[in-house]
Amino acid sequence: MTIRRFLIRRLVLAAPLLVGVALLTFMLVRVGGQDPVGLLAGPTADAAEIAAIRADLGLDRPVWEQFGIYLARVVRGDLGASWLSNRPVLDDIVDRLPVTLELLLAGVGAGALVGVLVGLHAAFHPGGRFDHVSRVVSLVGFSIPTYWLGLVAIFVCFYLLGWAPAPLGRIDIALSPPPRVTGSYVIDALVALDLRAARSAMAHLALPAAVLAIIAAAPVVKQTRAIALAALSSDFVRHARASGLGTGAIRRMVLRNSVTPIVTFIGSELISLFGTSSLIELVFAWGGLGQYGLNAILSGDFTAVQGYVLSIALFSLLVFAVVDLLVAVCEPRAGLT
Amino acid sequence: MRPTGPTLTAHVIAAALLHAAVVVGMVTGLAAGARAETLVVAAVETPKGFDGDALKPATQNVVTQVYEGLTKYAYKKDEQGRTVIDGSRVVPHLAESWTVSEDGRTYVFKLRRGVRSPFGNELTAEDVVWGWEKSFAQKRTGNFIARVSSVAKVDAVSRYEVKFTLEAPSLIFLRALTLYTPGIYDSTEMKKHATPADPWALKWLEGHTAGFGAYHLESLRAGEAAVFVANPNYFKGKPFFDRVVYREVPSAASRVTLLKAGQVQWTEALTLKQVVDLRKDPRVKVESDEATGHASVRMNARYAPFDDVRVRRALLYAADYDALNEAVFEGLGTQARSIVPPIIEGHDGSAWTYKTDVAKAKRLLAESGHPDGIDLTLEYSDIFWWEEPLAIQLKGQLGRAGIRAQLKRITSSEMRSRTAPGKRDLPFFTFQDNPIVLDPVYALFINAHAEGASNRNDYRNLEFDRLVDLARVEQDRDRRNDLVRRAQRLHVEDATWVMTLYPGAHEAMARCIEGYVWQPDYHERWAELRCRK
Repeated sequence: MTIRRFLIRRLVLAAPLLVGVALLTFMLVRVGGQDPVGLLAGPTADAAEIAAIRADLGLDRPVWEQFGIYLARVVRGDLGASWLSNRPVLDDIVDRLPVTLELLLAGVGAGALVGVLVGLHAAFHPGGRFDHVSRVVSLVGFSIPTYWLGLVAIFVCFYLLGWAPAPLGRIDIALSPPPRVTGSYVIDALVALDLRAARSAMAHLALPAAVLAIIAAAPVVKQTRAIALAALSSDFVRHARASGLGTGAIRRMVLRNSVTPIVTFIGSELISLFGTSSLIELVFAWGGLGQYGLNAILSGDFTAVQGYVLSIALFSLLVFAVVDLLVAVCEPRAGLT
Repeated sequence: MRPTGPTLTAHVIAAALLHAAVVVGMVTGLAAGARAETLVVAAVETPKGFDGDALKPATQNVVTQVYEGLTKYAYKKDEQGRTVIDGSRVVPHLAESWTVSEDGRTYVFKLRRGVRSPFGNELTAEDVVWGWEKSFAQKRTGNFIARVSSVAKVDAVSRYEVKFTLEAPSLIFLRALTLYTPGIYDSTEMKKHATPADPWALKWLEGHTAGFGAYHLESLRAGEAAVFVANPNYFKGKPFFDRVVYREVPSAASRVTLLKAGQVQWTEALTLKQVVDLRKDPRVKVESDEATGHASVRMNARYAPFDDVRVRRALLYAADYDALNEAVFEGLGTQARSIVPPIIEGHDGSAWTYKTDVAKAKRLLAESGHPDGIDLTLEYSDIFWWEEPLAIQLKGQLGRAGIRAQLKRITSSEMRSRTAPGKRDLPFFTFQDNPIVLDPVYALFINAHAEGASNRNDYRNLEFDRLVDLARVEQDRDRRNDLVRRAQRLHVEDATWVMTLYPGAHEAMARCIEGYVWQPDYHERWAELRCRK
């Protein structure tokens, strides 16, 4: 299958999937006991005012009718307006997605790199001291609650040691954010050649990204180790050993055979950590899509929650498509499906 | 031959002098820049709107800095020498003076001259009328305030005189004018942004402000920060802080850490545990006031078994208020004995007799036909930090009297919507209301009158309503206080609230901050703050 056909096929498949996600989210937020009308109406509203707000939001109509209207708008690229801020949800997502991606890609990227290296090293020296230590450390990484790790990191690195800047978002309060190009302050500041802003943005990114990297690395270490060990004990490695191939050549073979499952695993990690990163965003006042989604869920801002979940679904589809492309490059026999 | 022009040395000296001048200039400039004072507030979230008539999360926190009233509460010194609000006295603010007709139904306010908005427009009677008409048209918070203070009509008499016509005389009225809503907008500016479809410029108001107060919104980055700058034309002169960065820091733990580290000068929404910890920190100052918020557990008498007053009273006797204060409120709370807070004139807690008595609670339960105890569901949310710990403690205390309470956590939006007028279907739940007007009739009306917006447990007592309605129009202070006292007594006897404690208002700020005075809306006024270094 050519890349073009692959992409078209994915697009065609994505449409019903997204409709399904939209329907599920739409129904879930409505049956979840959430009702933003009370919040919107304020503490002094009477029954008539509450009914007026309900009608204004279309909540007085049958749920199926509400969904039909919503879907028709989504198809036209209109995700509606946030019930709390009145801002178009799409604008909010476009503003905040790059903010989350900056953190996510930096954190998961660093975590995956470290995780793969450590996992491979542990697999190549099974039962050794490094293997034991890495297993314990990865277990700790698994067990630490993300929120708590973020708070501890702030307490130690910012409050006690003063290594990290204040957890007040993405750039020093005294500095003006760089002109928007990508939405990532680090990249935008570099594009604008504003080195002070770039330095500040990088310093602000370091700690939350490190926290996310720790969370991301733990499962990658475990998975990589298991994948590489499975490859090491496979028939073709035994055959290679019997044929007298050197350690280096065998490791290259193992690496080549491990790439596909590792890349696939990192892809799924990236998706699952999209949700987790919202907690890190919360602790570091990061202001990305995760924080936005969490706020929307807590305050019952239905349109914003729907937009948030849809964007996660879209992001997941995109990541899977990229992973499949990468796998096809690494393992041409697998082909594109 | 010697050159006739300037020598190299002269060039060097001239260059050095020029350089020095530039450096001095830069340093002076920097120093001048450094004089600009910035207050950084660690806020729970950035405001979702700036319309005082349509309160959204964090709206009230900031519109109180932008829109000021015709009147304000007087200040006085308390026993410790702290400046506090004198809820019994209202003084002119944006108004210079006022006259009131003999029947108490017509007020004419003379506006202070030379009050200007940041846009340079002078405050006129038209601005006051515009703001009230906006509230009447929107039928939201401002309209409610107009209703409880009996305002029927607002007219401009002249450029600097505005007349309020009341449906009935009201002692709430002058206090209601201290509020940010109905707001006094710079209507000249607002009208520029109005359209036929949006005559009150509500769209523009989502990201802008136009008041005559000390600050106005400079920029808003949703989810990050709202930046306010001082109104250069503020009638009371330049406030200490030229800029206020209202920074979203959603994690309470991070807010505390930032305050301790000196990165922010003010924090919002702390738990009492954090307050106690911060009190021990020499870098932080904590100011505490009794305030008006009442942490209560309410019973809706429309639902069994709360339709039996003996069951309701049994719950009140079973609760251990001192233990709740220690376990939940770190001992900082004040025992509540009435729905009118003690700091409001007219408060009377003498009818409250529910001292913890488990045996009496059991006896009452048995009398009501529940000798083997009773099963209840207590619903709580996370709107107020104390709800869950209080529910847990109360469950244990009620259990001793055979009242088996099952705890159910619901979302904040569900709590708000199910306790809103028109629904009110929660039989047993936690909530806190803060009467924003320091008036006993207002507190009684909003919390327990059949038409009260915060009568969340749907309390119905015709005699209570009659007393409150009489008090609303009563002009004689003693007679009014008598009506207020009788209404409080009735409410306590009906026992629909487990009145627990007033948690108080506790604000944590940088050690250098001075000038803080607690306000009935629980929001500090940035214009009053300064930093003594």
